[in-house]
Amino acid sequence: MSISQLLPLILLLPLIGGAINGIFGKNMPKVLVGSIATLATSLSFVFALMIFFQIDEAVRVNLFTILSLPSIELNASFLADNLSIWMTLIVTGVGALIHLFSMGYMKNDPGYYKFFTYLNLFIFSMLLLILGSNYFILFFGWEGVGVCSYLLIGFWYADAEKGMLNSMAARKAFVMNRIGDLALLIGMFMILNQYGTLEYLELANMVTVGQIVTSPEMMLGITICLFIGATGKSAQIPLFTWLPDAMAGPTPVSALIHAATMVTAGIFLVVRSNFLFELAPFTQDAMLYIGLITSIVAAFIAMRQNDIKKVLAYSTVSQLGLLFVALGMGAYTVAIFHVTTHAFFKALLFLGSGSVIHAVSEEQDIRKMGGLKNKIPVTHITFLIGTLAITGFPLLSGFYSKDEILAVAFGQNTTLYILVLISVIMTAMYMFRLYFVTFHGTYRGSKETESHIHEGPASMTLPLVVLAVLSVIGGVLNLPGIWFKNQAHWLSHYLERNTAGLEKIVTDHLADSTVMVLMAVAVLVTLAILAVSYSVYVKKNSIPVEDSELSGWEKVSANKLYIDEIYNFLFVKPIVWMSEKGYSFFELYFLNGIVLTITKGIAAGGERVKKWQSGYANWYVLWMVSGIVGLIVYYLVKI
Amino acid sequence: MELLIIPLLFALIALFVPKQFLRYYALIGGLVSTAVAVGHVVTYVPADLYVSVFDPNWASTFGLTYKMGYDGISLIMIVLTNLVTFLILLSNFNGTLASNRMFTSMVFFMQVGLLGVFLSMDGLLFYVFWEISLIPVFLIFLWFGAPGRKADLIKFFIYTFVGSLAMLFALMMLKVGGSGFEGAASFSWEDLMKVQLGTTSALWVMGGFFLAFAVKIPLFPFHGWQPETYVKSPMAGTMLLSALMLKMALYGMMRWMLPMAPEAIESYTMPVVVLGTIGVIYAAILAIRQKNIKRTFAFASISHVGLIAAGIVVMSYDAMTGAVIQMVNHSLVAVGLFLAAEVIDRRLGTNEYENLGGIAKQAPRFAFWFGAIVFAGISIPLTSGFIGEFLLIRGVYFYDMTWGILIGTTLILACVYTFRAYQLSMNGPSKNFNFPDLTWNETAVFFVLMVLIVFIGVYPQMIVEVIEPSLKTLLDNIHSSQNIAH
Repeated sequence: MSISQLLPLILLLPLIGGAINGIFGKNMPKVLVGSIATLATSLSFVFALMIFFQIDEAVRVNLFTILSLPSIELNASFLADNLSIWMTLIVTGVGALIHLFSMGYMKNDPGYYKFFTYLNLFIFSMLLLILGSNYFILFFGWEGVGVCSYLLIGFWYADAEKGMLNSMAARKAFVMNRIGDLALLIGMFMILNQYGTLEYLELANMVTVGQIVTSPEMMLGITICLFIGATGKSAQIPLFTWLPDAMAGPTPVSALIHAATMVTAGIFLVVRSNFLFELAPFTQDAMLYIGLITSIVAAFIAMRQNDIKKVLAYSTVSQLGLLFVALGMGAYTVAIFHVTTHAFFKALLFLGSGSVIHAVSEEQDIRKMGGLKNKIPVTHITFLIGTLAITGFPLLSGFYSKDEILAVAFGQNTTLYILVLISVIMTAMYMFRLYFVTFHGTYRGSKETESHIHEGPASMTLPLVVLAVLSVIGGVLNLPGIWFKNQAHWLSHYLERNTAGLEKIVTDHLADSTVMVLMAVAVLVTLAILAVSYSVYVKKNSIPVEDSELSGWEKVSANKLYIDEIYNFLFVKPIVWMSEKGYSFFELYFLNGIVLTITKGIAAGGERVKKWQSGYANWYVLWMVSGIVGLIVYYLVKI
Repeated sequence: MELLIIPLLFALIALFVPKQFLRYYALIGGLVSTAVAVGHVVTYVPADLYVSVFDPNWASTFGLTYKMGYDGISLIMIVLTNLVTFLILLSNFNGTLASNRMFTSMVFFMQVGLLGVFLSMDGLLFYVFWEISLIPVFLIFLWFGAPGRKADLIKFFIYTFVGSLAMLFALMMLKVGGSGFEGAASFSWEDLMKVQLGTTSALWVMGGFFLAFAVKIPLFPFHGWQPETYVKSPMAGTMLLSALMLKMALYGMMRWMLPMAPEAIESYTMPVVVLGTIGVIYAAILAIRQKNIKRTFAFASISHVGLIAAGIVVMSYDAMTGAVIQMVNHSLVAVGLFLAAEVIDRRLGTNEYENLGGIAKQAPRFAFWFGAIVFAGISIPLTSGFIGEFLLIRGVYFYDMTWGILIGTTLILACVYTFRAYQLSMNGPSKNFNFPDLTWNETAVFFVLMVLIVFIGVYPQMIVEVIEPSLKTLLDNIHSSQNIAH
């Protein structure tokens, strides 16, 4: 089949799967529901692979015209190029594995069919976002994934204790995302006004050829708006606090949406718009600094979190920060490489945490875990691989992708390199802490839960194993130039072909010796932290204490830098105050008061006029006669 | 002409239909008139100015011409009116009012009034229908409204009446003429449009129209009558007010206010954009902490229509298209949201959040459809609201960047109060009450609404093609007379 036939199929399959499950799923056996959803996503993956093997130039497929006005034409058209197909492979591939995992994980949930409907709709929206050939379709997907994210964060909305909290978390995520969405929309207006189109290919052509000269201010405005949009979806300062709360959703959702795919939409947006960002150095710097600060702040918070999912959530925020650092330096392909490996190991870690939570009767506090390594061996080994991959342990996937970012940073300046290294060090610290406290030592939960600890079914362990393998070997996609010279940087070269703008960007590589030194530093640092963590958490067997006993930086970290409290004070409280006072004072007292005053005035006037209607005939005769006289006088004067 | 006569007949005959058949009779009436309107759309061929449906070619001594007709824009409003009337009757099918003759008759009378407004191509006729349409909705409120409504009734009446008088004044001024300009030959739309107003008189004429429309939309700060009227009217009344009656005013802005006094548009654009923006933000913020679901939606309505009004006065073709799409969308969403409030009220007898919660668990079908309408209400892509708001915000943004961004915050604020309304009533654990799921007719209404919302959201081109020639003609007319004035 040709690409133009395959592309709509890739999109439609998850939509059809979602529709079948949504309409008929309630009365279908659970296995069938799960299989349909998993199959739909897997088939999309297979079709994406078929495109992957035959694509040699960007192909655009126009399905229909959504809106055609004199000044704009908005098409439902889709673009297959190397970037979008690569992202499609990640989304459908990792997505299919997570679907499979969910079949085991959600087995006993009454909302089973709803869950799979939402998952498939999410995949559909995500594919709209990735495969759309213009910003308009991207925006459709962009908001669509937000809706699915909302539905899935608040999936357990009827829970007796947490139902309302889950709903609030969902709403928070959506509202914060919407702030970014508005900026993205404004950015689209600017692009439309400036270039008259939202199609990537035409835009790239106009911008790079320079048909239309754009002032630096305009370019700054466009890119800043797009970037703010990206900070919402990809959880960067200041719009990142929704992501940790989003952990209220079922764990496979955290793995799929809030780690592997949706949160990388912001990165994708920037890579897609690389030709715009290349002309806006200020925005690039802004991305770099925001990314760096986010990365360090989130890593700092992650150091003293005790909820297994919260640690991973802050870790995701921190890794996304690193990605923005890469983007800020113009290293777009490096960013996509790290997006890829991050999708592998972060999905693995989240699914692993799901497997842990599943095993210990829905407990999420690592202080009540411990000693799980022999009880759930598959989860343990795969989680360990995930941990090593994210901390950049030699030869695992994270090692290569992180080193690329470090190397680019080193190429820019040393201070930047050191700051990124600090973030990497902190990552190793909280990840090893998480791993050791969860899996080593002795079990600290109740006796009753201990007896229930068990490994999940094959549908849960299989995806863990596959993702673990990918996390180990993922690095070969983009080897540094020091080994296998001819095969080096395969992914970068792949992405630079057929992707608007990227082919023009020249990436220079550091000398082999420098790369070797940088690698050695990274390896030594990781190993050192591993050793220290081992001695603290395993040898000395120290367990995290209660939050109330913390002081100094640990207290600040455990309390998430008080950012929620600050936002609450700065934004939520004033708006609530305005809403309540606005209603009680301005609406009911002031506006209503004005109207009442006017009507009272009229009523008082009426009282006076009423006296003229005295009911005495002689008064009426008088009025009548004066009226007639008046009229006669008037006409006489007029003549 | 059958557009007007059919509902009129249904309104009159309703008074004599046996009570047990009344609900079926109402549905038939709604269906027939909708079918007739759809027939007009199918056979619609764009004409020069408008397609004439009634023109006795006779002018009375004071200039009334009885001209009636429609163009693409009015046609969309006519279909919308008939369809929404049908949906209102359908959603009432199991209610207590369904067997009330006066109620059924009044709903059809309302339809007549609204259709008259959309069909009138004569200023005085427009005014007459404008006033006629006030009577049935007022009577529905008076007869069937919630207790404690007397003060709100009076307020509602005074507000709208003052506005109407201002419009009458503007019409008279156009016809009679004044210092520095000739009056029109008749009240017909074409003649009124030909009047060349002076700078000051144009301001007065437009001001008169504006006041009438601003009250009925309602625009901030002319909205004082709206929240309580919406809350205390019976559901059908609220739906008629929010889904249809305010569309008369938005339509009036496009058809009457802008073409009649184009000389004054430039002086009015900025103030209306500012008022619209303030209204969008002010009403949204107030909606956030309301304690009653119906009042939340009442403020939401004020917030949403502020954007439409602002989009209309910026006078760009795109924004006008967006305005028409958004008018349709707002009607559909308003019916859906108020029906959701009514579904709750019918079963629990309350709309206060403190008594609600956990309904989703008991009534999954209701949870689904209410949820779908909520997403339509916050203008998610693939729903009609997104297309409308996209074009409107873009229009305002294009006119003025700052106000465009400010008015765009509706995207953020809307999801705060709409989700809050849904979550406080539906989410959480089940409470201590029994909540039967949707009946077939309620489900049917939600279903029709969502099908239309998604269809327009995916393929808005269908509406665009109907209104395109008319909108172009309208804007060309306005621009050319604007140029003469300069």
